[in-house]
Amino acid sequence: MPALAQRLGRVQVAASTTMTVRARELRAAGKDVVALTLGEPAFATPRHAIEAGLEAARRGETKYPPQDGVPALKQAIQRKFKRDSGLDFALDEISVSNGGKQSIFNALAATVDPGDEVVIPVPSWNAYPLMTNFLDGRPVFVACPQNNGFKPRAEDIEAALTPRSKWLILNNPNNPSGAACSADELAAIAAVLRRHPGVWIMSDDMYEHLVFDGFRHATMAAVAPDLRDRVLTISGVSKTYAMTGWRIGFAAGPRALIKAMVNMQGQVTAGVSTVGQAAAAAALDGPQESVGEMVAAYQRRRDLAVEMLNACRGLSCHKPEGAFYVFPNVAGCLDRTTPGGRRIKSDTDFALALLEEAYVALVPGASYGMSPYVRVSTAADEAVLVEGCRRIQRFCAALA
Amino acid sequence: MRLTADRLDRISPSLTIAVATKARALQAAGRDVISLSAGEPDFDTPRNIKDAAIRAIEAGETKYTDVSGTPALRQAVAAKFLRDSGIDYRPEEIIISTGGKQVIFNCMLATLNAGDEVIIPSPCWVSYPDIVSLADGKPVLIPCGQNQGFKLRAEDLEAAITPRTRWFMLNNPCNPTGAAYSAAELKPITDVLMRHPDVWVFTDDIYEKLAYDGMKPATILEVEPRLRERTVTMNGCSKSWAMTGWRIGFAGAPVALIKAMDKLQSQSTANPSSISQAAALEALTGPQDSVEAMRQVYQARRDLVVRELNRAKGLNCHQPEGAFYVYPSIHGCIGKTSAGGAKIVDDEAFVTALLDEEGVATVHGAAFCYPGHFRISYATSTEQLQEAMRRIRRFCHGLS
Repeated sequence: MPALAQRLGRVQVAASTTMTVRARELRAAGKDVVALTLGEPAFATPRHAIEAGLEAARRGETKYPPQDGVPALKQAIQRKFKRDSGLDFALDEISVSNGGKQSIFNALAATVDPGDEVVIPVPSWNAYPLMTNFLDGRPVFVACPQNNGFKPRAEDIEAALTPRSKWLILNNPNNPSGAACSADELAAIAAVLRRHPGVWIMSDDMYEHLVFDGFRHATMAAVAPDLRDRVLTISGVSKTYAMTGWRIGFAAGPRALIKAMVNMQGQVTAGVSTVGQAAAAAALDGPQESVGEMVAAYQRRRDLAVEMLNACRGLSCHKPEGAFYVFPNVAGCLDRTTPGGRRIKSDTDFALALLEEAYVALVPGASYGMSPYVRVSTAADEAVLVEGCRRIQRFCAALA
Repeated sequence: MRLTADRLDRISPSLTIAVATKARALQAAGRDVISLSAGEPDFDTPRNIKDAAIRAIEAGETKYTDVSGTPALRQAVAAKFLRDSGIDYRPEEIIISTGGKQVIFNCMLATLNAGDEVIIPSPCWVSYPDIVSLADGKPVLIPCGQNQGFKLRAEDLEAAITPRTRWFMLNNPCNPTGAAYSAAELKPITDVLMRHPDVWVFTDDIYEKLAYDGMKPATILEVEPRLRERTVTMNGCSKSWAMTGWRIGFAGAPVALIKAMDKLQSQSTANPSSISQAAALEALTGPQDSVEAMRQVYQARRDLVVRELNRAKGLNCHQPEGAFYVYPSIHGCIGKTSAGGAKIVDDEAFVTALLDEEGVATVHGAAFCYPGHFRISYATSTEQLQEAMRRIRRFCHGLS
């Protein structure tokens, strides 16, 4: 077949996908693989959200929805932002998309011209740089080292900003590190941004409710109300309500930006599944007890994982504020050799050897722009997580 | 700072949405408006399909699926192509997307470089040229007039192909004209394509099941299997199974292109709704009697509107083979003045005056890159259609 478009060469297959595929192959070959790769809650969607989805199907809400989302869901999102963050948005400052990922895509596709820079603190979700590359933009990475809790420092962001900077993307809490910035930490970043009025700020708050030890989630639009005309806040129901398969995300921000994003989405998928939108509205408006139960379970699993991983020879695991990931450092395992004879030169070698010899799947930090680390998802059931960590302990102990 | 990226300027404002918005405003002001502007079935999704979605929700099928769709649905789509068209696709040659539109978006973004040409017979759905432009490509329109049944002539296709031609796009049956090609009619077109081995073929067969008088729309690979390595066969659930709000489209294509589209989709939306995929599985594998029942109703309505429109002074309506649209010519009305004093200078003035004076919402031909006509959707109840036809005839007779 003829060559593909040049832009496609700028999109690589995510390493997490490579690991997932290899894990599936090993499973198919009869191996007992423990997968700690997924960014997906193992919980079920709350009952009242399910009921609302069923009702919508029964009532015949099966027609093209408005491209920016059905009014009932947009109103529920409006209440959510008020309730959770004290933010007031008009309905035309809100849009609904097929997953939070599409809101990010819409925003970048609607604004990034060739050569525009997108400042991304790393480690980061690989979708940000991949989309930026695909759109002819240029990702500019700001390292957030473990000794600063994987959080972006205001001075490092300042140093990365140039006249070509179009966006700063904040993912709070962060995938893959779980790090979450407090209001004070965000205020320091806001002070920098005030000096750079041409930069848009994307706050991807997909994991906002998954924070531990009484940590209070903060978001830029609330911390720095004076910056609101250039802040886009993104969230969704996938993580908070265990609704990944329903594909509902949303964004709130300045009217003109939202309008451009909806226009963009109109060319990609048009509207969002009506049944999913009904379920999402119910999830946002309904009882929130299930969220508290999930958060308690995730906190327990985080504690368990951090403790067990810190007991591994050669690993050092920071305890993060939120999300359902931990991001241990594997520097102490480099230049060692596995019982199977594999020499570990990088985090990718570590992850591959662990999968081939101990049948535990996780994702190397290289996929998130920071090495030598690995991402361990704590979204799995406790028993699975414990078994996975035990195997990692044995694997590390056997390195010579 | 300038908000939007250049690529956004290449998307035309949706004239269809502009009409719908105006019709809603009139309705809100208390006017009795009949809308013949919607591109979707008026029927509700068939019961068995909704029940399948409900079962999926109850069974907890609410997690991420593979980006390209569940194995079961990809298998069912492959079986559908074999059953309906004799095309033997393997499941890895199938992708499921959030609406047929996303298949087009994925495909064009994955393959077009700046300046590549895409041949599109017009009248056409405006999203084709818009998405091509968005991907930096150049739409090349071939006008297909009413005197040729709105169908493309092989010699016109041959004349339009240049060394820059990347794709030929066909919509069969066609939105907005309802024109559908039989196998015999496609043969001269595929003969041309066989002489141009670098041209890819995109066939959008989403209205496939909606054809009348025993006519069977053919698809490219049914007619010329040797084009298989460069053809995308797109279809979906929206129109044939009245499932617009569920957002499921799909396509068969060579594996390398499917992989490229999967890569793009993973960066813009990831998988389509897991629940909608379960509904689509039932649509494809369950009983098909509701499809046939809807088709018969559409045929009776088409006969009604063609008959009535040809009785309206100044209109000339071709009887199409499929879809749920007719595309009458208004040439006999141009230059006249309506009873309400509007000068009918073009198709836009015609539909505006028709909406203002008679409360009938339709879409003018410029929205489909082919002026001098307007599009009527007959996906509405027979009673509403009869009343609308009375009003259109009154409007036309009032022209002087």
